[in-house]
Amino acid sequence: MSRGNLIISAILWFVVALFVIYPLSFLVIESFKIAGTDYYGIQNYIDFFKDPYYLKTFVNTLFLAVLVLITTTLLGLPLAYILARYRLRGKVLFTALILLPIVLPAYAGAFALIVFFGKMGTMNLLLMDWGLISKPINFVFGLHGLVFIQSLHLLPFIVLSLSAGFTNIDPSLEEAAEVEGAGGFKRFLTVTLPLTSPNYLAGAVIVFLWPFTDWLTPLIFGQVDFLPSISYINIAYHFTDMHRKYMGIVSVVVSSVICVGIFLASKTWVERKKYTALSKGTTLEGRIIDPGLLTRVSSYAYMFFIAVLVLLIPIVLGLSAFSRRWVLQPFPSYWTLDNFRLIFLETPALLKNSFLFSGVALLFGVAFGLPAAYLITRTKVPGKDTLDFVITLMLAFPGIAVGVSYLLAFWEGIPLATHWIIMPLSLFIRRLPYFLRMAHASYLQLDVSLEEASEVSGASKFRTFFNISLPLLLKGVFVGLVMFFIMAFQEISTAIFLYRGGWETLPIGIYLNWHRGMEFGIAGAMAFLMIVIIFILLLIVARIGGGILGAAWGSSGGRY
Amino acid sequence: MAFIKIENLLKKFGNMVAVNHIYLEVQKGEMLTLLGPSGCGKTTTLRCIAGLEKPDDGDILIDGQPMFSQGFVPPSQREIGMVFQNYAVWPHLRVFDNVAYGLKIQKFPRHVIKEKVMEALESVGLTGLGRRYPGQLSGGQQQRVALARALVRNPKVLLLDEPLSNLDAKLRERMRFEIKSLVRRMNMTSVYVTHDQAEAMVISDRIAVMEAGNIVQVGVPEEIYKKPANRFVADFIGTTNFIPGEIVEVPKGKELVYIQTEFGQKMLCRVFDSAAAFPNQKVYVSIRPEDVEVFAKPPDGRDNLFKGIIQHRAYLGNFLNFFVNVDSTMIRVQVAYDVRQEEGEELFLFLDPEKCIALT
Repeated sequence: MSRGNLIISAILWFVVALFVIYPLSFLVIESFKIAGTDYYGIQNYIDFFKDPYYLKTFVNTLFLAVLVLITTTLLGLPLAYILARYRLRGKVLFTALILLPIVLPAYAGAFALIVFFGKMGTMNLLLMDWGLISKPINFVFGLHGLVFIQSLHLLPFIVLSLSAGFTNIDPSLEEAAEVEGAGGFKRFLTVTLPLTSPNYLAGAVIVFLWPFTDWLTPLIFGQVDFLPSISYINIAYHFTDMHRKYMGIVSVVVSSVICVGIFLASKTWVERKKYTALSKGTTLEGRIIDPGLLTRVSSYAYMFFIAVLVLLIPIVLGLSAFSRRWVLQPFPSYWTLDNFRLIFLETPALLKNSFLFSGVALLFGVAFGLPAAYLITRTKVPGKDTLDFVITLMLAFPGIAVGVSYLLAFWEGIPLATHWIIMPLSLFIRRLPYFLRMAHASYLQLDVSLEEASEVSGASKFRTFFNISLPLLLKGVFVGLVMFFIMAFQEISTAIFLYRGGWETLPIGIYLNWHRGMEFGIAGAMAFLMIVIIFILLLIVARIGGGILGAAWGSSGGRY
Repeated sequence: MAFIKIENLLKKFGNMVAVNHIYLEVQKGEMLTLLGPSGCGKTTTLRCIAGLEKPDDGDILIDGQPMFSQGFVPPSQREIGMVFQNYAVWPHLRVFDNVAYGLKIQKFPRHVIKEKVMEALESVGLTGLGRRYPGQLSGGQQQRVALARALVRNPKVLLLDEPLSNLDAKLRERMRFEIKSLVRRMNMTSVYVTHDQAEAMVISDRIAVMEAGNIVQVGVPEEIYKKPANRFVADFIGTTNFIPGEIVEVPKGKELVYIQTEFGQKMLCRVFDSAAAFPNQKVYVSIRPEDVEVFAKPPDGRDNLFKGIIQHRAYLGNFLNFFVNVDSTMIRVQVAYDVRQEEGEELFLFLDPEKCIALT
């Protein structure tokens, strides 16, 4: 019995050691290498922190992270409260719309915003046509645009974690506050909000870490001076310039250290403050009230406002996908299917690659995730908590760190980087925690006695797994699978470092078309196609997982 | 020889000792109940018998075959049936398939499986519901499925882990008798875990009372009730009064001793082991509320007669409870519902020496 578990554990550890620990430690060691020599030292780090430019990118990134967190919190707090607490018609639809950005790649959103809000974009042209302004307003290019698009992309994380918090609070805690005389807003401030803080933090960390990971969106908005962006430029374009290459590697390591540090600090804090675990008897949907007329109207107005912002992305991308020469006009006038013809006829490899790589990554994910979830929830194998910990850490590692470390580690020695398998492999490692978390959550919901009953009936552990556990886990696992696929499908930050001619995926195609001379129509069409594919997958998940909330976030209910 | 034999069983969770070197024997065809408050180790003991927990020390034998210590027989090889607290009926299998599961594993021919399952379903009163999914059944019906599943393979031992605790009071009472008669009819050796003393009284041939990982007393229900081994058992089983006191005198060769309490110089009281009793020993006199007799006027020639005032009068329908203040010690008394005395009135209590038990 426990012999089998030990073997599973050994295999999983081997995978983690080879594909997580080895490349990442390779990256760290490389960052200490003194350029042009075989010696190691901390010279690179001294150079990095002495250079005012790199220091500035560091401060910029931190500043961006703070701004994005503040913006998402201010936008998300009322939204989460409305969704969690008010009985409103059409709430499910609004929830679905508002959560959509979670599966829309941020770079796709950035394109859409530029087309709509750019200097010669729809908004400016309309305002000028109507004579309201004489010169175009700079809506998006710059820090404010970056904050705006990143906030829009990350809003769902805040909304989901907060609304989960609002729902999970034992209604009697709030009722007690009311009985004690704290009504309305006071109750919200003194009881509701503090009780929600662990949930909030869980979402806030994801939001805060994002600017340390996303290198592409700043580039699209013409911003370079952020840690991930400069890392990318230094490593991808200046690999011959030893100094810049090493500065790039150091900034990747610095970003990783910050991300992991913040992640661990918040995890510790959240674990120490699990308020919800203290109270019993929570109802399934928490406390839901029928709002008054004024609240109702303003709630709808607010939800509508956010939904419009979100919908702008697929609509604008759709318009540009079906048109050509959409320049200097508020709306396109020349409609065509040319863009799609180009994609399907000339570069079907992109689609094929995307499906192939994500699909293979998915197989890896299942082969690893199911045994890992089993090991962590159902056994007492020594080291399983460490395994869980290492895998969970991958949530915090910037994609760029995975990409760069794979490039460094799997070139010589273990030359995996010359085979296309490196692409799904890196996608799988990058999204390792996603599937595991969901399989883990499903496992936790599966009552142990259902498995024990099978063993008592004479079934072996192996047979019990296939007859009882797997069929019962299937729903939760399937939701996890599709989410994993969606995440892998839109992945770019890791893949960009590893692809070679012929391995381009849809996201890389989008990036290249944008990069190579503003083929906006094709880039837009690709992004639109990707959104359609993702949306179809999401619908499937919603069908099976029941409820859009569950679909977008799995059964883990807004925690990591 | 005992059918189930547990020797020196030890089970720890980290530093916490859940089961502390216990010895227990269950005879063939007997229903033994492990009774105790939550956290006393009763469920852990049951799970050790099932093989769902691996003990840290000790021996477990079923039908003379070692299950633990000399190797470890996994639950699937122990030929046991088990009913879980939350039923553990598999939601993705129909009732028929739930019950047939173990038979299929044993590779019985299909017609035999069908015959046995039908018979099992009939015995628990679920005839005709085989094609339903568990989600379409009530809690009580799911409970019956679990029971049928546990019995269908005709296991050597039936284990029941608080099987009735999720049912409502009425149904629980009915199921007690159903389980008992079913198990009796099949002459099944079974171990039943519960924290409900009334349930244990009804269902068991013998009861093992557990406290903090130890078995404190094993006996038939009547014995447990009438001759509790210590204060814990007396308190846990039924309701009782505890009167703190000190032994004054132990007359030779008698089961009755004299005890000094706060309200009586010499109270006569039984001890089960007069050899172990000694003067100045601190004891608690236990007497059940229904064993106290009340008189409006003191009858002649009785020991253990005390005067008190009725502090509270509680009407419980079929009888009355008086809380009588005897020199500031409160004694609970159960009397017939038509006793007239009201709160504040005087009363004489006769604490029959034969029914007063001195416990340590």
